[in-house]
Amino acid sequence: MRTAVAELALLAVAAGVLGSWIVLRRLAFFTHAAGAATFPGLVVADASGISPTLAGLAVALGYAGGVERAQRSGHAPGETATALLLVAMLATGVVLASDVFESGAGVDRLLFGTLLGLGGGDLALSAAAALLAAAAALPLGRAWTALAFDPAAAQMWGMPARRVERILLALVAAAAVAAIPAVGALLVTALFVVPAATARLLSGSVSGLVAGATALAAAESLIGLYVSLWLDVPPGPAVSALGAAVFAAVLAVRGRG
Amino acid sequence: MSPARAAGMPAGGHAPRAAVLADGLTVGYGGEPVLREVGFEAPAGSRVCVLGPNGGGKTTLLRALTGELRPLAGEVALQGRPAYVAQTERTRLDFPVSAQDVAVMGTLARGRWGLPARRVDREAAAAALERVGLRELGGTRFGELSGGQRRRVLVARALVQDAPVLLLDEPLAGVDPASAELITALFDELRAEGRTLLVSTHDVASARSFDLVLCLNRRQIAFGPPERALDRESLEATYGSELIVIDEPGPVRAITVQHHEH
Repeated sequence: MRTAVAELALLAVAAGVLGSWIVLRRLAFFTHAAGAATFPGLVVADASGISPTLAGLAVALGYAGGVERAQRSGHAPGETATALLLVAMLATGVVLASDVFESGAGVDRLLFGTLLGLGGGDLALSAAAALLAAAAALPLGRAWTALAFDPAAAQMWGMPARRVERILLALVAAAAVAAIPAVGALLVTALFVVPAATARLLSGSVSGLVAGATALAAAESLIGLYVSLWLDVPPGPAVSALGAAVFAAVLAVRGRG
Repeated sequence: MSPARAAGMPAGGHAPRAAVLADGLTVGYGGEPVLREVGFEAPAGSRVCVLGPNGGGKTTLLRALTGELRPLAGEVALQGRPAYVAQTERTRLDFPVSAQDVAVMGTLARGRWGLPARRVDREAAAAALERVGLRELGGTRFGELSGGQRRRVLVARALVQDAPVLLLDEPLAGVDPASAELITALFDELRAEGRTLLVSTHDVASARSFDLVLCLNRRQIAFGPPERALDRESLEATYGSELIVIDEPGPVRAITVQHHEH
């Protein structure tokens, strides 16, 4: 239980920091896809005893690279490229799980997470993700903000816009993998997108957004954890449902005001 | 002989090094070129009006000068990295940034993109906002400002870049009179600082107050001081059927009729 709380607190930092630029840069779909796309890697790792973290990282970073390359070559617009890659990855995962490895019940855990079987390795990975996110956001945050605000202009300012963007994509992909043991491949967005999107409705500055997103991610995931223990459901769905409810409530209150 | 030399440079002692140069420039977006055979030289510290009808290639020229569009033929050369103020707002109005935040972004163009903003950066932004008359609105959310005020904030962001060459695409179009007056006065200040300005417009009347005028209509029609570049022949070639020339003694007076697509 203590491990689970520590894990969620660390993930909340990574999710609050990166989530802020995920919503500003409109990477929500990418984030969801980066998490979900690790599924085939996780299935293979689960069946063959490879570290699922390494397999997930490899797939997520490869996936981010593929999306970035498809965007850059201009053959497919971002969203389409993301969707096509996502479908291909999920289909591969399902085929592997059902026909090749006959994974069975383990698939549930990969897709929706568990907080009971977390180990020191999972904690270390989440700590690394939180540290990396904060360490990168401090110097690069304003470049990410400028790229999200006015990409056409920011590309003319002589900063390596593509590299700055790639660092963000890689961090998001890596942090999504760190979150998979806790919330599962399909519900990464519950931590990385929903709290930040909620904070975005309320914040007037980027720093306020980062603070709000981190606080909301921590609160929603900890409360979600207790709810999941109480109702005996997996933590991922509990955190997701709570996040969605808070978002809807804030939207309704703000819409009236 | 290049069109620039054909049109002639402003008279004066030795010609200063060109701050903006285009030679045999042809640009397009993949299909037929949108703009052909543009060649001119703008000396440092000059204000150049880029005049032409809608669809005449003004924005295309500016985008080629920023390096955003690669020439199909010919070349461009600029003194330093230009600051560009786009015509169409490509910014996002729902963004959680203040006018001051937007102006500070200009410091990213000064080589310190990988570090947090410093106090001098914030001071430069505040000074630039002061120059466009928006100092007291620095804390206002960008999306809550009026269209003219937002344009002035983007001009301030360009000022913060401290660029030797500024490219402004229709900076006065759709702007309230107060904003227009402020921006025009700023052009003179910037010239006094030795900066070079390329300002696009489709308004013949405002072109007369510039040092040099470049007339474009899918190709270069004329380049030179206004009294030479804005003769009747060039104006007719630039505007075609949109032009109404008022025949009176003295300099050619002309107005254009805008055909708006709906």
